Amino acid sequence: MKLMHTDALIIGGGLAGQRAAIGVRRRGLDALILSLVPARRSHSVAAQGGMQASLGHCAKGEGDNEDVHFEDTVRGSDWGCDQIVARMFAHMAPKAAREMAAWGVPWNRVRRGEHQVVINGEHVSLVERDAAHGLITARDFGGTRKWRTCHTSDGTGHALLYAVSDRVIAESIPVHDRKEALALILDGGRCHGAVVRDLVSGELAAYLAGATVIATGGYGRIYGVSTNALINEGMGAALALETGVARLGNMEAVQFHPTAIVPAGILVTEGCRGDGGLLKDVDGYRFMPDYEPDKKELASRDVVSRRMAEHMRRGKGVRSPYGEHLWLDITGLGADHIDRNLREVKDICQYFLGIDPARDYIPVRPTQHYSMGGVRTDHSGQSPWLAGLFSCGEAACWDMHGFNRLGGNSLAETLVAGMLVGESVADYCASAEAEAGCPTALAREFLEREQAELAAIASGRGNEEAVTLRRRMETVMTDSVGLFRNGPALAAAVDELADLLRRSRHLGMRCRRLDANPELVQAYRLPRMLKVALTVALGALRRTESRGAHFREDFPARDDRHWLNRTLASWRPGDELPTLDYEVLDVMHMELPPGFRGYGVKNIIDHPLTAARQSEVDELREARLDRHALQSHLMAFKQFLPERYRGRNARLDEPLP
Amino acid sequence: MSRSLNFAIFRHNPRDPADVPRTQEYRLDETPGMTLFIALTRIREEQDPSLNFDFVCRAGVCGSCAMLINGRPGLACRTLTASLPPDISLFPLPGFELIGDLSVNTGKWMRAMSERLRAWLHFEAEPEVDALEARMEPELAEQVYELDRCTECGCCVAGCGTAQMRADFVGAVGMNKIARFRLDPRDVRSDADFYEVVGDDSGVFGCMSLLGCHDLCPKRLPLQTQIAYLRRSMARQGLW
Amino acid sequence: MFAEVDVVNLSALTPAAVPPRPSLWPARMDILQSATGLFLGLFMWLHMFFVASILLGHDAFWTVARFFEGYFFFGRSLPWLVSLFVAAIAAMLIVHAWLALRKFPAQWKQHAAFWRHMGRLRHGDTTLWLVQVLTGFAMFFLAPVHLYLMLAHPELIGPYESADRVWSGRMWPLYLILLFLVELHAGVGLYRLAVKWVAFGDPRRSLRILGRLKWAFTVFFLVLGLLSLAAYVKLGIEHADRVGEPYIPAWIKTAP
Repeated sequence: MKLMHTDALIIGGGLAGQRAAIGVRRRGLDALILSLVPARRSHSVAAQGGMQASLGHCAKGEGDNEDVHFEDTVRGSDWGCDQIVARMFAHMAPKAAREMAAWGVPWNRVRRGEHQVVINGEHVSLVERDAAHGLITARDFGGTRKWRTCHTSDGTGHALLYAVSDRVIAESIPVHDRKEALALILDGGRCHGAVVRDLVSGELAAYLAGATVIATGGYGRIYGVSTNALINEGMGAALALETGVARLGNMEAVQFHPTAIVPAGILVTEGCRGDGGLLKDVDGYRFMPDYEPDKKELASRDVVSRRMAEHMRRGKGVRSPYGEHLWLDITGLGADHIDRNLREVKDICQYFLGIDPARDYIPVRPTQHYSMGGVRTDHSGQSPWLAGLFSCGEAACWDMHGFNRLGGNSLAETLVAGMLVGESVADYCASAEAEAGCPTALAREFLEREQAELAAIASGRGNEEAVTLRRRMETVMTDSVGLFRNGPALAAAVDELADLLRRSRHLGMRCRRLDANPELVQAYRLPRMLKVALTVALGALRRTESRGAHFREDFPARDDRHWLNRTLASWRPGDELPTLDYEVLDVMHMELPPGFRGYGVKNIIDHPLTAARQSEVDELREARLDRHALQSHLMAFKQFLPERYRGRNARLDEPLP
Repeated sequence: MSRSLNFAIFRHNPRDPADVPRTQEYRLDETPGMTLFIALTRIREEQDPSLNFDFVCRAGVCGSCAMLINGRPGLACRTLTASLPPDISLFPLPGFELIGDLSVNTGKWMRAMSERLRAWLHFEAEPEVDALEARMEPELAEQVYELDRCTECGCCVAGCGTAQMRADFVGAVGMNKIARFRLDPRDVRSDADFYEVVGDDSGVFGCMSLLGCHDLCPKRLPLQTQIAYLRRSMARQGLW
Repeated sequence: MFAEVDVVNLSALTPAAVPPRPSLWPARMDILQSATGLFLGLFMWLHMFFVASILLGHDAFWTVARFFEGYFFFGRSLPWLVSLFVAAIAAMLIVHAWLALRKFPAQWKQHAAFWRHMGRLRHGDTTLWLVQVLTGFAMFFLAPVHLYLMLAHPELIGPYESADRVWSGRMWPLYLILLFLVELHAGVGLYRLAVKWVAFGDPRRSLRILGRLKWAFTVFFLVLGLLSLAAYVKLGIEHADRVGEPYIPAWIKTAP
């Protein structure tokens, strides 16, 4: 049996995983990164528009700070997030942006003086302060009150991932790429690492670690059309789920991005609308102001996506051989702006659509984009049920996004979570708890179990075809667990997915090789994907309210009275369906008590304690404390941060004391 | 009227001693907007589940899917079949370790190159993350980003005559990285330091200016400019 | 918990020795290869103009030839000056060829790799490099013949003298081949030098223009060369029965 030892085993080579690994390494411990693909091919690279950090340098960002960012994030989540985590995040985001600046990210910078922008379809002139010249600038994104999205043109994910992976190389952190974790090795309630398959040779090995971190990104590929990379198949969520111990949070919270191109489903950044792009219908009419007169195209993503679908349902969509779509019009921004700030968008339009976005409208429609749900962790990033198992980034439900993530908050989260979870992983590795090593016999048992299972799958002579089942799963998820959901369709979806899961155990294989064999990979991933899909569908069926991206046509109200909670999904061995339970969000500890997001018509069933908490908060606010003191009275959070990250963030208007 | 496409695809499993490299033919009806990603996925799903190839983002940004398309390196995911004749040959990128069929280990090559060239920002001190970031001229930041856009897809190495003859040549990808850090004021290294890693015939002086890299770069990076600039700076080191 | 497994980092314990400075020769050799190439390329273009002066008449060429022998400086011809110059050119050629040889495929494997690469890439600049290699290789054998003649008999440069050498001396096939070799090699080489050393601001546009310029120059010098060679052949045929008779302009009484 091949055995590998390390302090921290990081599963996933995207931004969150790599940043966490660096944190562990800098504490003098060994970290090892596993990745399905060369780490720089990870899906983080595809993030375009930017990351939110309340630096407040640019003219439209003046007055921004952690408080505003926090509130935007909580509102964006439709009060579904963990407010302490949102606070930790808003506090950390500027530090993350600054660390990246020092590590080499070529952030776009403020240029002093006057410049032209497009706001709400109009050309507007802005003047940037002299004092801000050369500091990191920001662009507008949906659902935010300030221009807060720091960016490098529209290749922000690329620039960040390369800067971080450069550091990984500089610090000699091993990356074992083209390797896949098949199962976690656990001893009751303690995780000891993973059984890992080499995707080239097919060889299995046991990687034993003090702490194991799942940083595998989202599960978008359970849907037929997704902006996600092909590798985002939810295998991290499945790893945790299959332990039978760890739990997943809010799996039904799935985000649909308003602007993916048709038919390829490739994302064009929210920065298009942030920079002044408009959504238009079949008649070339700008429809968003009719639905959301206030934020228009720059409402929260869940809202814009639903409004687009609603408008298409009214017959205003553009018909095409690939179904209906709408138009994204960025022609008003001018070729020069597009060449400098929306280069990837231009490339995508040119190569996949054969159009020039400076002259032509871009065909778009809402498409699966982000997984708010994931491996449920506490504030430190650790699973409350499985010691030694951590998770960060999109793979985790740490829970700063609740039921809808703001654009630009995902890149920021990957770095912030990587910074924080890296520290807590290092703390854990140094603790007495982590010292209990894994008995080799246990590792052997897990490895042999996986080996036997693979051999059984490879020799499968059943009459089912993995491709067929997978396509069916994708269709069910797209049709019934999409933007608009309802009870009967969801119930049927759960039944069919459960049936697909049964059928997936009877696959017939054509290629029986155990080394690099794409058919084998598809075959063993399929049941895992179906299990993940079932947690999504069942969670959506049971949650009889509408919150953020989870919209039930039969329950359109946000029901704080019954559903101000977080769904937890686990899978008991031998079961046909996941087991769901719920974790209450405590209104009395919220810094920002539940309220109205300001989109559409107010349709909220209030929590009985909301009013009480609101008056507590109002009372404190009237005490006229400085904002830091007020905040710490409302909801103290700094005790959850490592000491090194507790300091305040400097701004031009708020220099460090 | 849709065309019928004939694919000639390289097949080989280097881990099987009995397996002889060969090309295998596949036939597929073209659909509107079909890319090589769609075509290869369909071939795998409908005709040959054992066919190995690499796609990750399928959007032209991650650099995984470079291969020889009718002899020339390019990103398969964003190549429309409509832009090709009906006979399409697909071969793995030369110059990299073969994993199987169209899949090559560019990741391993790139990591080794980064380690050899010490291709990371060498900063003076760890950042003070609470304080205002160091200022940078907006134009300079844009220029650095221009060079930072490389996706390490390997097309420049596969398109380089020198790299095809000399396995130790760093390729345009390596020289572009050095140019990128050289331009970046945050990097404390001097030209003498850069000379240590690219100042020989496996580095910038090995480049024969055949421009394959420049002409084939999917991101259209200004590689000619950068290599010429780097060559001048490194040559200057040799003058005293 | 595995941290203590790490062995002591030995390099951290050795005294902070200054790492040896890397060799500067790669840089120098690269400069030298380009510099010799630049000189030779430009010289060949000038050389073509000297040779082509025959098209302007016998006296024009006679004047050019004597000019290089110092006739107009010293009042008499010093052919050894030409020999000296020829020797310098030959030396430069040897250095250039020696430096360029480093870039040639040395092993069969490299040869095969380049041919395969060129064949499938169908890329102009890549193919042109092979042109460089082949023309350079051929010139390495053919140019010395001409150089030796010039070195040994510098005085035999003149309208009749040269024409006799071309025709009656049966040098014209060699010169015809050399003409193509030299013009292709120099044209491509000078273009390559520009691409190598000039950092173009808008490389795509500049390279397009440069590519066209290169062909324009090559064609121009080929045409000029062919016309001049034809002129020498014609003169050689006419002068075939008086081989050995030097040309003396009518306005000069005595041979210089």
